[in-house]
Amino acid sequence: MTEIKFPATWIDENRFEEALSSNDYPHETASAKIVFSFPFNCKVMIGTAVRLLSLANQLDHCCKNVVLDFSEGESGAMGYLNRMGFFDHLAPGITVLPDRPILSGAFVYGRTNRNLVEIEAINKSHRDQSLPSRLTDTLMESCSGRTDANELEGAAWTIFAELIDNIFSHSQTPLDGYAASQLYRNGNSLKVVVSDSGLGIMETLRPSLHAEYPNLVGLSDLQLLVEIFRQGISRHGGDRGCGLRGSAQKAIKFNANLEVRLPKVRSLLVPAQGTYQPNNKAYCSENLPLIWGTHIIFDFHLDQK
Amino acid sequence: MDSMNQNALTLKLCEFMETPEGWGRDHGRKVYQKLIDFVEDHPGFMIFMVSLEGTKRVDISFASETIVELARRYRGQKGFCFVDLADQDMLENWEAAASRKKQPIMLWEGNKGRPIGIGPSRGALSAFEFAITRESVKAAEFAASIPAMSIANASTKFKQLWEQGFLLRREDIAESGGVEFSYYRIG
Repeated sequence: MTEIKFPATWIDENRFEEALSSNDYPHETASAKIVFSFPFNCKVMIGTAVRLLSLANQLDHCCKNVVLDFSEGESGAMGYLNRMGFFDHLAPGITVLPDRPILSGAFVYGRTNRNLVEIEAINKSHRDQSLPSRLTDTLMESCSGRTDANELEGAAWTIFAELIDNIFSHSQTPLDGYAASQLYRNGNSLKVVVSDSGLGIMETLRPSLHAEYPNLVGLSDLQLLVEIFRQGISRHGGDRGCGLRGSAQKAIKFNANLEVRLPKVRSLLVPAQGTYQPNNKAYCSENLPLIWGTHIIFDFHLDQK
Repeated sequence: MDSMNQNALTLKLCEFMETPEGWGRDHGRKVYQKLIDFVEDHPGFMIFMVSLEGTKRVDISFASETIVELARRYRGQKGFCFVDLADQDMLENWEAAASRKKQPIMLWEGNKGRPIGIGPSRGALSAFEFAITRESVKAAEFAASIPAMSIANASTKFKQLWEQGFLLRREDIAESGGVEFSYYRIG
């Protein structure tokens, strides 16, 4: 058995990675049973919730025996996850301790709180045309007083639409992708999370580099990641790729940070000199525990700069 | 803009979209097929004025797969231009998509037009500016308006503008009996 123990505090993406790395890597271990343990006073942030959901479903898909063990029951992290619809999307074969919630909080309260967008599945057979607008509305709920509110609203909608569409383009997987958002007033930020379990951007892009972008062949995954957002490179060649690049340019105008987790690497991209640069001081990690897919968090600061 | 051009037909994009918001390549491709059907069903029209009235938003991928792709497909034969495009964010997205495909698309605000996506080369700029102030123009007319401009030189500029998608053209019979091209602004 491999046990991933989360600490008794807020679990942001950094702590999530620390916990994953503290034991055998879940995808790579020979253990057939993977237990994720949430102690008392453990609180999960939205980025972690969505990544955990993707990872747990991936492990279940690989026939691992996955257990989510919530010491505090529904009064703790489990309650928040239930409110966000986490268990609605969790593979039925995964064990939840002490028990799966009887009622889905997202089902009961869904779409009633404009400070969040519950976890929404994204797959080719179900496309919620209103999802980019609903994600945008959570942002505008806190930012409507800004003098640049109209511009921000249009930019945010484009960013969310492009990111979600990117999941459709890259999925090639039976597993769903997910999107969600959560406002953190005390943290002065809104996090919008888009996550898929498909082939990562690198897996789809690398085979086309020799033909389409021979000058980029020698770049590391992290360097290539930056170029995806800077130049808009695409496996389909020069005509495509403008969506992610255009989204990044809009996000830069509003000083939004971009955290990207690929199967083995992750990077925090921060706006600098009109483009996105990796923030090497924050973290820029390679050789991480495997998580399939592409997982992106846009972090908007609520205050106007 | 009400086109004075009798070759022009107005096309309201939102009527092809089902929703006022267009996003994603799949959605774009579905709309693109409908747009092609519309264009092919109206063979007598050379210019399509794309009205964005009722279109709330489009993302860059949708923009790329719809009007920009349509303009590229029919480049040189039929032209597409925007009217009613006031939203700055939507304009940025159309521009980003057009720029990526190196496909100019005219944007008309009243009687003033400008290309978005890419602009004419410096050498052809004066010919382009001359052309968009009138419905159609012949190389000889432009040559006559500029001292020391030969008809051959003017023809080269207009041909380049036509090939790059800034203008349309039709073949006429000149008074001399030879072939002469009339170049049409898009809009």
